[in-house]
Amino acid sequence: MSWTRIGAIIQKSWYNSQRDVFRLFDIFFWPAFSLFVWGLFAGYLSQTAVGGVNILFLLLGAVILWTFFDRASKDISLAMIDELWNRNFVSLFSTPLTVGEYLVGVTVVAAIKLIISMVFMLFLASMLYGFQITSLGLYWIPAAVGLTIFGWSLSLLVQACIIRFGHTVEVFIWAIAVMIQPLSCVFYPLTALPAWAQTLALGLPSTYLFENMRTTMAGGAVRLDQLVISFSLNILYFLLSLLFFYRSFDRAKVKGNLIKNY
Amino acid sequence: MNTVLEVKHLTKKFGKFTAVNNISFSVKEGEIVGLLGPNGAGKTTTVFMLLNLITPTNGQIRIFGQDYLTHREEILQHLNYSSTYVEMAPRLTVFENLLVMAKLYQVHKAPDLIVELTKKFGVFDYLYTLHRKLSDGQKTRVYLCKAFLNNPKLLLLDEPTASLDPDIAAMVRKEVLSLRDRGATILLTSHNMAEVEEVCDRVLFINHGKIVARDTPEELAKKVRKARVHLMMKDGAKRTMMFARKAGFSAAVEGRYVTISVDEQDIAYLLAGLADLEVDYREISIDKPTLEDYFVKMTRKDIS
Repeated sequence: MSWTRIGAIIQKSWYNSQRDVFRLFDIFFWPAFSLFVWGLFAGYLSQTAVGGVNILFLLLGAVILWTFFDRASKDISLAMIDELWNRNFVSLFSTPLTVGEYLVGVTVVAAIKLIISMVFMLFLASMLYGFQITSLGLYWIPAAVGLTIFGWSLSLLVQACIIRFGHTVEVFIWAIAVMIQPLSCVFYPLTALPAWAQTLALGLPSTYLFENMRTTMAGGAVRLDQLVISFSLNILYFLLSLLFFYRSFDRAKVKGNLIKNY
Repeated sequence: MNTVLEVKHLTKKFGKFTAVNNISFSVKEGEIVGLLGPNGAGKTTTVFMLLNLITPTNGQIRIFGQDYLTHREEILQHLNYSSTYVEMAPRLTVFENLLVMAKLYQVHKAPDLIVELTKKFGVFDYLYTLHRKLSDGQKTRVYLCKAFLNNPKLLLLDEPTASLDPDIAAMVRKEVLSLRDRGATILLTSHNMAEVEEVCDRVLFINHGKIVARDTPEELAKKVRKARVHLMMKDGAKRTMMFARKAGFSAAVEGRYVTISVDEQDIAYLLAGLADLEVDYREISIDKPTLEDYFVKMTRKDIS
């Protein structure tokens, strides 16, 4: 693995981001937008609800943690779809650049974008609603890391599908987070789901993380056994999506998809 | 001389369609080999297989004596590619695009080299222009700069001078020959037959995915055999036409000109015959067969 080549991919993304207004929207506008909407809604609920946990903070905590997943599930896919739209794959992969180096490069860029996005969002949450991420204690760190890794796994899965099946499946870049959200129990407990959906939800690493977020905010202790399950599922899904991506890349070379003018 | 590129029984099938059908060839160090053929013949698929962007269905590719399975990075480190039909990142400037590519090849002192190459290929003035704002010809020249970044030992050029002005195309050919003089090996596809005749040592003619001829450009041109004799007539156009037809040559009259297609070895017979008939002409010119004639002959045969 060459760090110079990984650096080249990071540099390319940096140049690209500077001149792409819509990607800046992704980093700043959409996180701020969801924070405003959910913040106002939670503020209204807080005024009408009586006693119990702070609904405003509960919802803001959920929105902020969800944003880690939402951004992570899109950023890697968007980097790749840019290369396809710009017919850049031939230029990149006719050099010694390996698939692993390319993935590390776009993941580093995605992580930097995510950090910028989250710092901005946390600043807004603090200024507008007085919400501090530390109200989750240290739990926010494993929760954010777990949700980010899960987002990256799904992003890899979507990318793999795009290079395998072409642009027809690119709608999943934007749809995947929406499809996963109801089963992840972001805004309600697992028990709120029907029995069949609970079974599905338990297969997602995100469900355990949001369940524990609510427990923590209600003053309870984090269930370590659930964190272990969540991270085990995360590692499994990440490895499977990586494997699927490599297989799809090889398949794309067999089918000639890398050189197609998408 | 060492064999730089060796292709054995290379085949590529896309479903039921066979794009490249069991081709074998080798290219030695310092050679410039032209890969010719009509559109859809399998040239670009072959080039993409040589770049490891398409996986062959069957066959073997060895470059610098190594194969992609175990030595992909080493091979691509010393290989480069240029085509009129590929793109670079549109939102990056020429300098940024070339800098990124230079880093992918781990080139030292890249900024100095980029300045040198862009000056050489006449795009220095566009160094800080966004790629998407360049004309097609300028993009081609930038991509040629990219192809020379790592001082490649093997250079694959797919239609390198399409969309270029004649003077720039001539300069590109000069650079290609200069790279060969420095020991590089070049595989070139082109529709410009004059260009192929000028720079290529050997030609592989590919059609329907198969190599149908391989020789020097001169020898391939000779296979056409027919030369064209143009006569600007003073007197005796009718007699000339009758003589040509009687001898089995195809002939045509256009104004004061008569053009006769004749095998090269029959030119002397034709001229002697016209002298006997006391045909009077002011000018005579003879077009010898070219590689283009061979190309036309082969593709026409295919159409008919």
